[in-house]
Amino acid sequence: MAVVSSASGLLAMLNEEHPVLKLHALQKLNSLVNLFWPEISTSVPTIESLYEDEGFDQRQLAALVVSKVFYYLGELNDSLSYALGAGAMFDVSEDSDYAHTLLAKAIDEYASLKSKSDKMGEEGAKIDPRLEAIVERMLDKCILDGKYQQAMGMAVECRRLDKLEEAITRSDNVHGAVSYCINLSHAYVYHREYRCEILRLLVKIYQGLPSPDYVNICQCLMFLNEPETVARIVERLLRSDSKDDALLAFQIAFDLVENEHQAFLLDVRNHLYLKPQEASLPDNGSVGMKSENGNADEADNAASGAQDVLMAESSHAPNGNLDPTEVAYNGELTKIKGIFSGETSIQLTLQFLYSHNRSDLLILKSIKQSVEMRNSVCHSATICANALMHAGTTVDTFLRENLDWLSRATNWAKFSATAGLGVIHRGHLKQGRALMAPYLPQTGAAGGGSPYSEGGALYALGLIHANHGEGIKQFLRDSLQNTGSEVIQHGACLGLGLAALGTADEEIYEEVKNILFNDGAVAGEAAGISMGLLMVGTASDKASEMLAYAHETQHEKIIRGLSLGIALTVYGREEEADTLIEQLTRDQDPILRYGGMYALAMAYRGTANNKAIHQLLHFAVSDVSDDVRRTAVLALGFVLYSEPEQTPRIVSLLSESYNPHVRYGAALAIGISCAGTGLSEAISLLEPLTSDVVDFVRQGALIAMAMVMIQTNESCDHRVGTFRRQLEKIIQDKHEDTMSKMGAILASGILDAGGRNVTISLLSKTRYNKITAVVGLAVFSQFWYWYPLLYFISLSFSPTAFIGLNHDLKVPRFEFVSNAKPSLFEYPRPTTPPSSTSTVKLPAAVLSTSAKAKARAKKEAEQKASADKPSSDSVSASSSSGKGPKATEKDSESVQGGNAIEKKIESEQSFELLTNPARVLPAQEKHIRFLEGSRYVPVKLAPSGFVLLRDLQPAEAEVIVLTDAPSNATSANSQQNSASSAMAVDEEPQPPQPFEFSA
Amino acid sequence: MDPQLVEVTQIFARLKAALLRNDFGTCNNLLSQLKVLLTKYPSLPPTFQQTPTAVEELQIARDIYEHAVLLSVKTEDQDAFERDFFQLKPFYTDTCGLIPPSPQECPILGLNLLRLLVQNRIAEFHTELELLPPNALENPCIKHAVELEQSFMEGAYNRVLSARKTVPHETYVHFMDLLAKTVRDEIAGCSEKAYDSLSVADAKKILMFSSDQELSTYIEEDHPEWEIKNGFVFFQKAKESQPCKEIPSLQLINQTLSYARELERIV
Repeated sequence: MAVVSSASGLLAMLNEEHPVLKLHALQKLNSLVNLFWPEISTSVPTIESLYEDEGFDQRQLAALVVSKVFYYLGELNDSLSYALGAGAMFDVSEDSDYAHTLLAKAIDEYASLKSKSDKMGEEGAKIDPRLEAIVERMLDKCILDGKYQQAMGMAVECRRLDKLEEAITRSDNVHGAVSYCINLSHAYVYHREYRCEILRLLVKIYQGLPSPDYVNICQCLMFLNEPETVARIVERLLRSDSKDDALLAFQIAFDLVENEHQAFLLDVRNHLYLKPQEASLPDNGSVGMKSENGNADEADNAASGAQDVLMAESSHAPNGNLDPTEVAYNGELTKIKGIFSGETSIQLTLQFLYSHNRSDLLILKSIKQSVEMRNSVCHSATICANALMHAGTTVDTFLRENLDWLSRATNWAKFSATAGLGVIHRGHLKQGRALMAPYLPQTGAAGGGSPYSEGGALYALGLIHANHGEGIKQFLRDSLQNTGSEVIQHGACLGLGLAALGTADEEIYEEVKNILFNDGAVAGEAAGISMGLLMVGTASDKASEMLAYAHETQHEKIIRGLSLGIALTVYGREEEADTLIEQLTRDQDPILRYGGMYALAMAYRGTANNKAIHQLLHFAVSDVSDDVRRTAVLALGFVLYSEPEQTPRIVSLLSESYNPHVRYGAALAIGISCAGTGLSEAISLLEPLTSDVVDFVRQGALIAMAMVMIQTNESCDHRVGTFRRQLEKIIQDKHEDTMSKMGAILASGILDAGGRNVTISLLSKTRYNKITAVVGLAVFSQFWYWYPLLYFISLSFSPTAFIGLNHDLKVPRFEFVSNAKPSLFEYPRPTTPPSSTSTVKLPAAVLSTSAKAKARAKKEAEQKASADKPSSDSVSASSSSGKGPKATEKDSESVQGGNAIEKKIESEQSFELLTNPARVLPAQEKHIRFLEGSRYVPVKLAPSGFVLLRDLQPAEAEVIVLTDAPSNATSANSQQNSASSAMAVDEEPQPPQPFEFSA
Repeated sequence: MDPQLVEVTQIFARLKAALLRNDFGTCNNLLSQLKVLLTKYPSLPPTFQQTPTAVEELQIARDIYEHAVLLSVKTEDQDAFERDFFQLKPFYTDTCGLIPPSPQECPILGLNLLRLLVQNRIAEFHTELELLPPNALENPCIKHAVELEQSFMEGAYNRVLSARKTVPHETYVHFMDLLAKTVRDEIAGCSEKAYDSLSVADAKKILMFSSDQELSTYIEEDHPEWEIKNGFVFFQKAKESQPCKEIPSLQLINQTLSYARELERIV
């Protein structure tokens, strides 16, 4: 078979006069262009002239040939313009590289033109109708072929909402399509307004469906910030006769609460109060007021808030002459209001964390023993580690056992230590104030305790009530006004900022501003941060006011506080914040530029926006100030946390920088963005940094590593064990620098945070950015300058739990399956006393007798292991059963390693039964299955978080697992005692009392 | 036999007859018809489909193009020559084994080389030469072209001109005439570089003109920038010695500085 070796003959034919010959040559060239484009390229002008020749009837073919030649030459723009000229000859369904590339190019081109014209308004760039036609042809083809996802992606990219709608409505699985589209809009649409447009469309589509998916609609509405619509939907669901609808409403409420958007939730709640029938409108208004009061009271008298409101409601009901359905509705309303206020979920979380607390006191004890008493930094780091380990569990045993030791904390260390109590009792809304009472500034009595513990207590109150500060706000304001001490002002400002996070409360803002204007360095710093916290994400013009003062003041601390505050105000505003960011990053003052980095981080949090990343990388290598460079790298972590896999790649070069500040930033960036993922690349990148030559880099790397590895156990990644041993070694090493020692102590705190039941997550399960968590981590990263800010990390902790609830919002007994080996997700083994481990390590001479003994021991171990096997099968909850085989394994390991491990793997089950409420790790979620034929069916098939359960046998009595444990007044008294005894620094030391919740 | 093929053969016969008669108008007409007819055969390049009549078709197509080339030589149409030659070429290069080589192959290849020489496209000349099989170089037609090129390059123009007498093929004569013109252009180019001016007599001698009249027409047509004055031909030197290129010092300094800055920034 002969093959033509050159196209020169055909090219020569193009110059023939007869049109038939030209046409013949073109057709042949078109089919051969992939082989002979280098030859043809020299004759492109000839073909172009054919295309331009009006008399030639196959101009489109000529255009197609030219287009292909340009494609092979890599001139995609020219290629595209000729392909457009080819019109219908350009076949979108052709399966060739050429067609694919050009289509992609056409779509890109169209998308960029569209977005440009959107930006410039109506009279923007004129779009070539031929281009539009190609894109439309492509879209139609995708829809016809059933490639809906492709079509949706393109439609979103090209800003063709009409096509998007068509693709969704015509797809075979509308629900799937819409949720795919939601993901798409969050992950890939960088322009905020446009994203809102898409979401609005989606809501419209949802509402048009026969069975609307309210859970998703409400999520969308939350993004669009339309509390009223949400309120209406919730109301409709509650008013429906079906109990299932009410469950759905509860589920919606829980899902919304998880996103931590306080201002929005408050709005929804207020709309719920105003909504009921017009006739009783004024009455209902008073109910709202009453319940507000109730809330305020509840903090005072430590009574159940929900009960209080219920009383208000029920006492009110007769007045309005409401029929029974209305009463029932009001009952439901109370429940949902409780959920929206966050109290229900916080309370349940608290119970979960308390009942599942698995923190290892031995670790703390060994830290305490190895840390030198006089080293205040390590001392307060240890206190902080304790606070983190027990965050939200209300377990303060360690503190009470070591009162003497604790009392060594003085001045700011005392401030921190007191604040630590707030972390431990985080979410203990009802008794928070009672718990902190001994340390709080006493109104009236002048000579109370030390200002440090008082300030710390106010800060602690803020931490307890973070983002749910309705009840405590007023008290904090009073305390702020009644004091002249800078330390107390500092604490009060932080506390207020936390409690009123993102509420943009004008009055509080003014009060805090007054503190700022006193120009005290310490109080001013807190005031700056506090103002930022208040105004989180509002992008209000207060920022310019703050900026002006930052220019005015002499105190670096105040400038720093303010610049962080300014950064917080633009949280999540993306492009809207660009002017402010520009202003900050061009400032003369490095501290304000540093604020600019934070502003970038906050404004573009979790968007992985390319522009922001470029800017940050630019600053990371070009700024003159080390602080700015460090922060720029660190900020990358915030921008990228929605795509943690990306971060190690992006910062890998920076982590090898000669500049230790940049390395430190890189470590924390990974820590922030990969927090709780246990990502292997992240760990590999951090590992060398943990033994860096510079002490603070080691510190950052250790903390970051702990953040990455939180809730990962050794069977998931063996390096976790290595890391734990490394921490232990660093803490015990006398010659280690204080900085890295502190890092190691904090790292062990973070690693086992919240009784080993929490993780750090900046995204909610619906991929919404958790404002509290992000803000918490941002302020936490300030600990470089101010150690008390360490405690902000507790805001980013979220429990890894599955909590199923019935209609009464109680936790019934319910079982489900995790289809994975229990050892993968079990709690880390508790440490054993050091004495026993040290003996194992001794190298021993092998005598003949000992060899025999070993053989015997091995045999025994094997028997034991096999004996353990059935017993472990029988126990349902794995964590406790896991211990048995583990212990024997350890024994046999010392005899003969590999063999025993294999045996263990063989013997382990491939699934475990979990009981509601259960610890479900993020990595475990994909293994969760619900049992068929179970009494309860989840309303939403979510593997973790709060899930409402539908009762299939409502007639039977329910077994409630978690009761309202830490709530009743019975314990209030003892708590007060115990709390006061917790850190008896200023009062008479009291003997530690048994401290038990009536569970 | 395929009726179409019969038609082609008939027209081709008429073409051959017309060519013998030197009736070029009819030839061009017939040729154009033939070429259109040929596009209908899938067995021809570039597709080379296997059809039962492929061999005959290929052979007749080759014959047609060979005649087309010869025709273009006779009509002294260099463009047509080029066009037809390229269309013919695949029959030579890519049909190995399908049809026996043509007796006309070497003369036509030689003609093409000569054409390139005439058009002073030396680079392409050598490309073509390299593509020829080694034994083809022995062929007198090609050898002739190669020797001409050597003489041409050496500047032995008289040898080039005298080679006219030793043409291996009658069609070569036409190109040899053209070659004389190319040689003259070459000489003119050289003298322009070598002299500021020349006496008319010398110029006439160098450029091989027999009369002053011929010289002045040549100058008018091909080198209007030359000037005849006082019995001398002045070669205008348009290209005054160009100022040596300035060193972009500022740009270089800037670049170096920015490199230094970047180096400092390297992380």
